[in-house]
Amino acid sequence: MTAPIPRDIPLPLPAPEGFLEILLIASFLLHIIFVHLMVGGSLFSLACQIKGLKAPDYEKLAYRIMQTVTVNKSLAVVMGVAPLLIINTLYAPQFYASSALIGDMWMAIIPMVTLAFLLAYLHKFWWHHFINLPELHIGIAALETGLFLFIPLIFMTNVNLMLFPEYWPEVKGFLSAMLLPNVLQRYLHFLSASVLFTALFFVGWTGRKRFQEEAGFNELKIITVRRFFYAYAFGAAIFQILTGLMALASLPTQGMGWNFILILTFGGALALPALWWMWRNLTQPSHLLDDDFKRIIACFACAAIFMGIARHEYRENALADHKTAISEKTANYQAAVKEAGEQARQTAKKPEGIVSAPGESAFNKNCAACHHATLPTVGPALQEIKTLYADNPSGIVVWTKAPGKKRADSMTMPGFPQLSDEELTAISQYILKH
Amino acid sequence: MDFPIFHIDFIGNRLLIAVDAILHVLINHAFAVGALPVVALLEFLGMRSQDPRWDNLAYRLLKIIFILTTTVGALTGVGIWFSAALVNPAAIGSLIRVFFWGWFVEWLVFVCEVSLIMAYFLSWQTANRSPETKLKHLRLGIFLAVFSWITMAIIVAILGFMMDPGNWLTERTLLSGLFNPMYFPQLALRTTLAMVMGGITMICLSYWHTRDDRGFRATVTEVLSKWSGIWMLGLIVASVWYYRVIPELMLANIPVAFATQEYAGWNGRLKVLLIVGLMYVSRILWVSVKRPGQVHGAKYLVSALLLFAMLGQFERVREFIRKPFIIGNYMYANGIRVEDYPLLQRDGILQHATYASIREVTADNQPAAGREVFEQACTRCHTVNGVNSIRGQLKNMYGDKPWQSEAIAAYIENMHGARYFMPPFPGNKAELNALSVYLASLQKRAAPFNGAQINGIPKPDHISTAISYGILPNLGIHHGEQR
Ligand code: HEC
Ligand code: HEC
Repeated sequence: MTAPIPRDIPLPLPAPEGFLEILLIASFLLHIIFVHLMVGGSLFSLACQIKGLKAPDYEKLAYRIMQTVTVNKSLAVVMGVAPLLIINTLYAPQFYASSALIGDMWMAIIPMVTLAFLLAYLHKFWWHHFINLPELHIGIAALETGLFLFIPLIFMTNVNLMLFPEYWPEVKGFLSAMLLPNVLQRYLHFLSASVLFTALFFVGWTGRKRFQEEAGFNELKIITVRRFFYAYAFGAAIFQILTGLMALASLPTQGMGWNFILILTFGGALALPALWWMWRNLTQPSHLLDDDFKRIIACFACAAIFMGIARHEYRENALADHKTAISEKTANYQAAVKEAGEQARQTAKKPEGIVSAPGESAFNKNCAACHHATLPTVGPALQEIKTLYADNPSGIVVWTKAPGKKRADSMTMPGFPQLSDEELTAISQYILKH
Repeated sequence: MDFPIFHIDFIGNRLLIAVDAILHVLINHAFAVGALPVVALLEFLGMRSQDPRWDNLAYRLLKIIFILTTTVGALTGVGIWFSAALVNPAAIGSLIRVFFWGWFVEWLVFVCEVSLIMAYFLSWQTANRSPETKLKHLRLGIFLAVFSWITMAIIVAILGFMMDPGNWLTERTLLSGLFNPMYFPQLALRTTLAMVMGGITMICLSYWHTRDDRGFRATVTEVLSKWSGIWMLGLIVASVWYYRVIPELMLANIPVAFATQEYAGWNGRLKVLLIVGLMYVSRILWVSVKRPGQVHGAKYLVSALLLFAMLGQFERVREFIRKPFIIGNYMYANGIRVEDYPLLQRDGILQHATYASIREVTADNQPAAGREVFEQACTRCHTVNGVNSIRGQLKNMYGDKPWQSEAIAAYIENMHGARYFMPPFPGNKAELNALSVYLASLQKRAAPFNGAQINGIPKPDHISTAISYGILPNLGIHHGEQR
């Protein structure tokens, strides 16, 4: 399997590469956190709403959750612009190629996200209009959640595809790119992270003093709600480790390296103490949910940062050779361009001896596109014009300034009022002499 | 050339970007830049008069603004990136290299704008607790209006650059690109136009929201008509300025008289639209200040539509003037740099197109090779069967007479001269002939034309995997690091 080697954009990077890489990792982490909260929040809201059919307090909880989703989704989009910009800058040859290869699905992201956002507003702003239509309301929530779940899969497919130029020639459309090794595993890993981070976020959020009063539950106790989220966070964390191992096992070897494995292991290891604390808080009556909460958050946050760095390391490893080849090719191409430019300038200078007929260049520039010497093309052939205007060059001048419409089966000729009489006379003489 | 070619034959690539961009600009001008100051104004009037109807109306308008700008508005903005990256990656990639920091600052402003609009909208109800919190809230609104204007001001600079790179071609710095001579007149025109658009759009919406309270409707329309009227005066001044500066600057960029004429046509249409629009809208505003509440709502709607049309035409002139370039004098709309032409015309474009599957034109591969040439050189602007289809164009030229490849070749060879908005043909003679054979064959049959998103890319061959060029030494071995 060989990779195509395109050329890079032949303009310098706007900042040192390492600096842009740091910016990329940081802004991507910021983006992905809000994406997690958006996807996870939407999932939880849907689940609580369904639960709310039997236990009405959960419907109230679903409404509160939805209020965070509409904020987080806007932040997810704006935060996404920076990493998009930097990826465009650092990985132009790879990223544009992979985007084009799944182009229709990639473009469909825009209307799909718009629709999902509009549905989210419909779902939230008109919440109380749906009191008597819970099925419809849940249907809207399900559609919105479905979109939120599907869209990341497209992103995942693209960022995976851009890493492996060797696979590009085999890809025919989105589906085949999605089925490349590792995409689905990584996607599952992403989903469990969404549930984990959102559940943790809600454990904190429902722990605020004001929440009791905001939510206005009839029977449901806050502690029950918090345990509900806590249990999900714990389950998702276990799932997260498993899917992470799956993703690692299915990772193509192109980007493997000790640096990558080391960072990854370090990040993964950080989840272990957090898991232990969570387990203790859930199972031992002597412990409260809020015990060590800050530490747990800190562990997962650090783990996320390490994963973000590891992800970037893998990308750099996988593309290292490709990038070198591209930069060599680009430099060579620029040299070839320069050489051909020189050569063209040389030949353009040469034919000094040959004096071109007056009117020839003006004819070539303005008329030749439509008037061929012998063939009737867009307009009549020069032969025909010659017979028509045999000893009447001024007739050509008059016509050309304001052409009429003669031949039924051809288009109208555009007028040339901007050409001077001298130019036109020269052209007409050139035509007649031709 | 260096990227797999994405192509949707049905709507065409230019239309894809155009639909997205026009939607974005309309929402941005009418519902953000022009409308947010109106909301803050109404909130202020409510605080001063202590009449809750103002506050209520302001909130309802903001809700519409909020929903529109954070969904369709924001995503069509991101959509410009997506579509441009698919349609013309070479161009957007180059612009990003030059304007990275401009765009980065734009992003920061955008983050502020979105955070502010969420804070402003979501804290509206709680801000009514006390006069102090309300005052703070109003300040938030003013900040928001300012930030949304700054977002626009930055983008205008980048757009201005694409038309006329000013000193950038020689200096290649961000600032020389940003402050090109067209910047200020354009910004003035856009700002005032957006303000009038925003004012009148908000009149239309308030008209609807005050349908049960005629008295209040008259007061609101009067206030907003005055507001829009003041900006209208600004718009008139800005239009005059624009017309005194821009056409000359732009015409200086067009070397071909033929195109000058066509440009005059486009510009003339904009001028007529501007004059008619300004007169009509001014009259409506004038009457509604004189006799508040007596102008029929439909007239405001007509005014708003006229302003939308003006903006649309303005963008079209802007687009037109750019052709045949996508970055003035640096890169043509087909994604090929001016500098690349001698090489491509000497060796052939297929020799240098990384993702082409045919390299050499031979006697028996002409139609297939021609298709590849078409894909590389023409598909950024033409489709086979869809919008601006090449079939339609050829039919218009040759009708039902048999299409002759020699005639087509003669046309394409000189097409840049005859039709300035098209770039010169970038390939060599054999490719020109192959392209013409392919185009002539379209009279009878046109196989569906799909882009890389469906067809994928060919198996890499010796050219797409090569690193060096022909007899030239591999420079990269020594200089690879210092790109
Ligand atoms: C865009 C294509 C186009 C270009 C460019 C063009 N022509 Fe024509 N020309 C036509 C067409 C089409 C006709 C036939 C018009 C008709 O019969 O209605 C025509 C017809 C003519 C005729 C014949 C008029 C007659 O009496 O039958 C003359 C002479 C002529 N062109 C001169 C010129 C000259 C000189 C130029 C350059 C300055 C020029 N044309 C550029 C398309 C073109
Ligand atoms: C910058 C975008 C652009 C590119 C690139 C481009 N064209 Fe065009 N072309 C146009 C536009 C715009 C028109 C005019 C459409 C109209 O008038 O409706 C046009 C018109 C034409 C016409 C009709 C000409 C006439 O005089 O009416 C032909 C033939 C044509 N193009 C062929 C080509 C071929 C072949 C290529 C590739 C080698 C190409 N074009 C590349 C934009 C482009």
